[in-house]
Amino acid sequence: MEIKFVLNHKQVAIDVNPSMRLLDVLRDVCHLTGTKEGCGEGECGACTVLVNDEPVNSCLMPIINVFGKEVITIEGFRETKAYKVISSAFADMGGSQCGFCTPGMILASYAVLRKNPHPTDEEIRIALSGNLCRCTGYQAIVNAVKLASEKGVKL
Amino acid sequence: MIHYFVPSSLKEALKILNENDCYIFAGGTDLMVQKHLSSGLLPNFDKDVLFIMKINELNYIEKDNEGNIHIGATTRYNEIEASSLIPEIYKTVIKEIASPNIRNMATLAGNIGNASPAGDSLLPLILNDAEVVLSSIDGERIIKVQDFILGVKKLDRKQNEIIKEIVIKPQELDYFYRKVGSRKAESITKVSFLGGYKIEKNRLVDFRVAFGSVSTKVVRNQEVENKYINKELKDIDIDSVVNDYTNLVTPITDQRSNKEYRHKVAMNLLKKFLKEIKGGRDE
Ligand SMILES: Cc1cc2nc3c(=O)[nH]c(=O)nc-3n(C[C@H](O)[C@H](O)[C@H](O)COP(=O)(O)OP(=O)(O)OC[C@H]3O[C@@H](n4cnc5c(N)ncnc54)[C@H](O)[C@@H]3O)c2cc1C
Ligand code: FES
Ligand code: FES
Repeated sequence: MEIKFVLNHKQVAIDVNPSMRLLDVLRDVCHLTGTKEGCGEGECGACTVLVNDEPVNSCLMPIINVFGKEVITIEGFRETKAYKVISSAFADMGGSQCGFCTPGMILASYAVLRKNPHPTDEEIRIALSGNLCRCTGYQAIVNAVKLASEKGVKL
Repeated sequence: MIHYFVPSSLKEALKILNENDCYIFAGGTDLMVQKHLSSGLLPNFDKDVLFIMKINELNYIEKDNEGNIHIGATTRYNEIEASSLIPEIYKTVIKEIASPNIRNMATLAGNIGNASPAGDSLLPLILNDAEVVLSSIDGERIIKVQDFILGVKKLDRKQNEIIKEIVIKPQELDYFYRKVGSRKAESITKVSFLGGYKIEKNRLVDFRVAFGSVSTKVVRNQEVENKYINKELKDIDIDSVVNDYTNLVTPITDQRSNKEYRHKVAMNLLKKFLKEIKGGRDE
């Protein structure tokens, strides 16, 4: 079945089974490997992408559910000013170590800042609660989001 | 050969459902986990699949003339959380379901359809006598959520019926909600408790209790509730209420917890709730 959607600002039409995971379409069909697979069960957030600006777990989303929508992966987000602010805040604060969670963390961080430009620590922790990190212990990530918030994420 | 149907209207969906035995697929946050094989492989569906998220006419939250709120089947948790029409108690419970990422995908109707005793939204739905509207090509019927869910993964649903919407009553009680799990986000509930009450002139004029994850379905017992409704607060004996519920709460042991712990926690939450009603908050 031909699935039409906007991927990283480009209209695409991909002929795949409608039940195929968005994650597999991105990685195996579109060769966008910035989106990671951790658990494959919705628990870790490594596979986070934005659909119509909202973070979702692409391992649970069948491709049919993005029909007609706009999908942004870390590759598309890299082109934005917001990415520069958030990624340098992660670098400055040590918010990334092995980096496996980072694409998902950055997109989820963007999603919280978009809705709430000056979140409290607690609000950041709640917003990122679906994204696990095995390395940083989270405080460095919270600090990074706070720094990005101070610098201002221009949208 | 598995067929995948993607209707864009309810009418079309009902026709397909009448002619085919299908999985009804909404947000997929339960189904994709249940049917997942491994990365790169398609989910392992053993019968046809009816995707419903493209049925835009089922995406709504509306208030009717009687003040009841109608939530269409494809409405996701994030939309429910953001709506000013939704009573606070539902928002409180929904905000503790899974993670924001999951709530951007998952539907309330899917939580009912999954018929898990750990389904968190079922507590406020059952406590407040919410109903589901089931649609088929033969017409519609309305049934209370409490009666619709028969047990683990068991619904009073005919093969050609779909949940069209959920109807909730406006909020009118004071509530006490606790969810006990391992981790705040994404934990499958070990035990959950929702109590609702209303006090007028030291009299308990409404009293309701629901427990999650302690039986094959959410436990609510109106017979026990009626024993205490209209009693003076001073005549409510905590031990006697606990005694009434102790045999209704029949948890099992599984990988998340054991039955003794669950029973104990459930009863402690009930006691806490009763203390709060009687005016002696102990937190
Ligand atoms: C990481 C993670 C954490 C979670 N945490 C929680 C939690 O804290 N609390 C909780 O309660 N749940 C939790 N869940 C479970 C799940 O997110 C919810 O049950 C959700 O509400 C399901 O909605 P859905 O739209 O994704 O359902 P789907 O997976 O699409 O469907 C679920 C079931 O409902 C049926 N169904 C769906 N729509 C209809 C309809 N219109 N008519 C008839 N049947 C229908 C389907 O056939 C299926 O059997 C979690 C899931 C994950 C992956
Ligand atoms: S891979 Fe999707 S949440 Fe873990
Ligand atoms: S940096 Fe390694 S998992 Fe987060």
